[in-house]
Amino acid sequence: MTEQKPRDPGGLGGQSRRDFLRGSGVAAATAVLTGQAAGVLDEAQAAEESTKVLSGTVEITLKVNGQERSCEVEPRSTLLDTLRNRLDVTGPKRVCDRGSCGACSAIVDGELVYSCTTLAVSCQGKTIETLESFETGEGSVPHAFHQNDGLMCGYCTPGFVTACKAYLDKHPNATEEEIRKGIDGNICRCGTYVGVLAAAKAAAQAKKGA
Amino acid sequence: MAEWPASPSVIGKRIPRLDGLLKASGKAKYPSDVHPKGLLFGAMLYSPHAHAKVKSIDTKTAEKLPGVKAVLVIAGPGTTLRYHGDDIAAVAAETEEQARDAIRAIKIEYDVLPHVVTEAQSMAEGAPEVFKGGNVKKGRGQTKGKPEDAMASAAATIEATYTVPMITHVCLETHGLTVGLEGEKKATAWASTQNVYGIAGDLAQALELDRGDVTVYTEFMGGGFGSKFNADVWGTTAAKLSKMAGGRPVKMFLDREQEHCAAGNRPSATAHIKMGADREGKIVSVIAEGHSTGGVGNGTNMILPYVYRGVPHYSVGQANALTNRGGSRAMRAPNHPQSCILTEAAVDDLAEKLGMDPLEFRLKNLDPGSPMTPIYQAEIPIGAELIGWREKRKPRGKTGTGPIRTGLGMALHTWGGGGNPGKQVSCTIHPDGSVDIKTATQDIGTGARTILAMIAAEILGLQPTEINSLIGNSSYPPGQPSGGSTTTPTMAPPCYDAVTKARDALFKKVASAFNNARPEDLSLKQGQLWAGGEPVASWKEACRKLGTSPISVTGEFVDGLSSTGVGGCQFAEVSVDLETGEVKVKKIVAIQDSGLILDLLTWESQVYGGVIMGLNYGLFEEVVMDPTSGRMLNPDMEWYKLAGASDIPEIVVRAYSPPDEKGRQVIGVGEPPTISTAAAIGNAVSNAIGVRVTEWPMSPRNVLNALATASREGRA
Repeated sequence: MTEQKPRDPGGLGGQSRRDFLRGSGVAAATAVLTGQAAGVLDEAQAAEESTKVLSGTVEITLKVNGQERSCEVEPRSTLLDTLRNRLDVTGPKRVCDRGSCGACSAIVDGELVYSCTTLAVSCQGKTIETLESFETGEGSVPHAFHQNDGLMCGYCTPGFVTACKAYLDKHPNATEEEIRKGIDGNICRCGTYVGVLAAAKAAAQAKKGA
Repeated sequence: MAEWPASPSVIGKRIPRLDGLLKASGKAKYPSDVHPKGLLFGAMLYSPHAHAKVKSIDTKTAEKLPGVKAVLVIAGPGTTLRYHGDDIAAVAAETEEQARDAIRAIKIEYDVLPHVVTEAQSMAEGAPEVFKGGNVKKGRGQTKGKPEDAMASAAATIEATYTVPMITHVCLETHGLTVGLEGEKKATAWASTQNVYGIAGDLAQALELDRGDVTVYTEFMGGGFGSKFNADVWGTTAAKLSKMAGGRPVKMFLDREQEHCAAGNRPSATAHIKMGADREGKIVSVIAEGHSTGGVGNGTNMILPYVYRGVPHYSVGQANALTNRGGSRAMRAPNHPQSCILTEAAVDDLAEKLGMDPLEFRLKNLDPGSPMTPIYQAEIPIGAELIGWREKRKPRGKTGTGPIRTGLGMALHTWGGGGNPGKQVSCTIHPDGSVDIKTATQDIGTGARTILAMIAAEILGLQPTEINSLIGNSSYPPGQPSGGSTTTPTMAPPCYDAVTKARDALFKKVASAFNNARPEDLSLKQGQLWAGGEPVASWKEACRKLGTSPISVTGEFVDGLSSTGVGGCQFAEVSVDLETGEVKVKKIVAIQDSGLILDLLTWESQVYGGVIMGLNYGLFEEVVMDPTSGRMLNPDMEWYKLAGASDIPEIVVRAYSPPDEKGRQVIGVGEPPTISTAAAIGNAVSNAIGVRVTEWPMSPRNVLNALATASREGRA
């Protein structure tokens, strides 16, 4: 494994775009470039290509939930995998791993992001919040989810709680229709939407009252 | 015979889940979240082909890659791979990125074989065989009376082919587990499973250990819906990789693509149905011929006619067409949603043909021999009122003139959901007043943990939050796998038994300390011990009299606390854009009976959730296979469509719960409310647009196809 020091701490860890694409594996690159439906791969060629490229590791520091946390990542490591696999911040969940379902939602510099499609190296110097840092007392979004049973198996819940808080922070006077649109980037399989919407409304109400 | 308390203080109330805040704050640790010391990351290599033979497999390069600790070949040379997603090999490495690289570095030569991935391909003359012995397996056929004669004498008949596609479970936490070994003789696993007790046996077998040497934890799990009862190839493979890596724990969870392709599905169902009724609107005959595919597994066992089992003459034939797709697994009410759609579509079409209101037609055709009939008779008017059937419903096709049409539809369902003897719950009352309830069952999102605490709290006069409800551990007394809506009705009785016996033992031990009371004079309520109508001590003070010896009792199943068999009906209101084929569900009404409801809050969530899963089935979901490459085209969460918040209509849920209903005791509710939603939506769409959409889901393509076909045939 070759060591590669980041040339620009805010950039892609000194890797060129081409290296990044190669390092991330031909399979992933092809899927991005040609779409899912055409993703019939020549496995042998993919294997051959990817073994020639050795990805480097970079030491990065991320500010997660108010703490500076250092770890080694590869330039291709997603924020989600870095949080979960390296920093033991497991609130955000890996579900679709392709930016479709919102279970991995985190707040980076105040903006809601899908951490499964955000590179960890691009988050250096930014403020990363996951739901573990949210208030949980009365009037909080997690409390409202609990009281309104806006969860069942609970695996989508971190994403919904995060999306809901991020949306309400920016839109304190949102109507129910607006809240629905605000959390439309998230998917639940147990079908907890009725409780989720009740929770979101309760949290919005509490916010106004506060 | 045991009885639930007549005027409960906890049971039947709306109690938030005990673990709800842990889940809503991201602090609940799921099996995919745990990070035991020395953790390695696993990855699976699976077949890109629908049908192929492994000619050669070379793992040498993979083994040498940085961080790789173990590589295991599952499908060696000569092995036949039978579907896109079939297991080939697995890797454990220091990082997940390294594990995935190693997977890509395994070199395989395939002998690609011809495949069949659609029912048509499977059933074609001379089709390639999925397994030796032919693709089409005759299923259970049934004949009652003389269906052909009865059909010939019917006043009105319909004949159509109705189709429901295969869907997948889409568990948000994919299948998998984290497993490690300590020394040669002990294994610990954190498994995303519906069967924490049983999965310990699977892993023990794979590791050649005794069951007791393996401890499995399932504190939380991210959805199963019937697909997570076994350790599966990837689970036992992770255990073997751990062994190869000197016992270091291995985390192995499927990626989304393999989850879709290999971790289970609800089989498709197609039936050609003839149905006839007499002049009075009584169904006299049903003749159905069906086929389905569950990939390399079982197809749908179609129950035709569904619910309306009093039809005097019927014949049903069905076949399972094996295809090169992953095998089916139980999925929330196996066989029922398909059977409901096929039957209820035909029933609706026949009512239309007779010019009858489909609601009246259904009431006329309820099975006089079924105990569910009085329940349907009571539920249907309640649902009709809530959806506005009388005011809003217009006959099919007479719904206006503009491009946007609205319509109403309905459907009925039934399910068992009873309790079984054989499982145990222990109750320990400690001298400090803490109470532990233990059993090796799990909470798959239903609220099982909270339900057990509520039962204990009811009996001990405490609050549910004062009970330690300990589940999700295979070393606890044997508990129920979560399937068939049986968890609550199976676990509630032994819980009641354990806590009641523990309470009685407490009374016996401490009675003399309270003015020499007799045990039978004592009772518990509002956190107090009462003797002869007076509170004499707080719960904690009473327990302190135990000295140093806790009370520990193991409870068994007792009769009189749970039963089986429910009926329900659902109504849907939809609007359809005739130009785009887009369907919007405006409102759903679900009337559901399920005996004694323990927690009304989580009960409602289950019914809402069932309806929403049914809405997905009715509007969005289908596995799309490419007949040419044999691959699944939408193994993701972008093109495999599921509802988001904006797709959720107004949903009205009512428990059908008259006083005597409670006398039917506890019955599970996980499955029934998902059965009839998609059927009701399809019927509402047909009512709105004036023609039957015979193919589910009610996607723009299927709706426009139905309109185009009708237009070509001069029907619309």
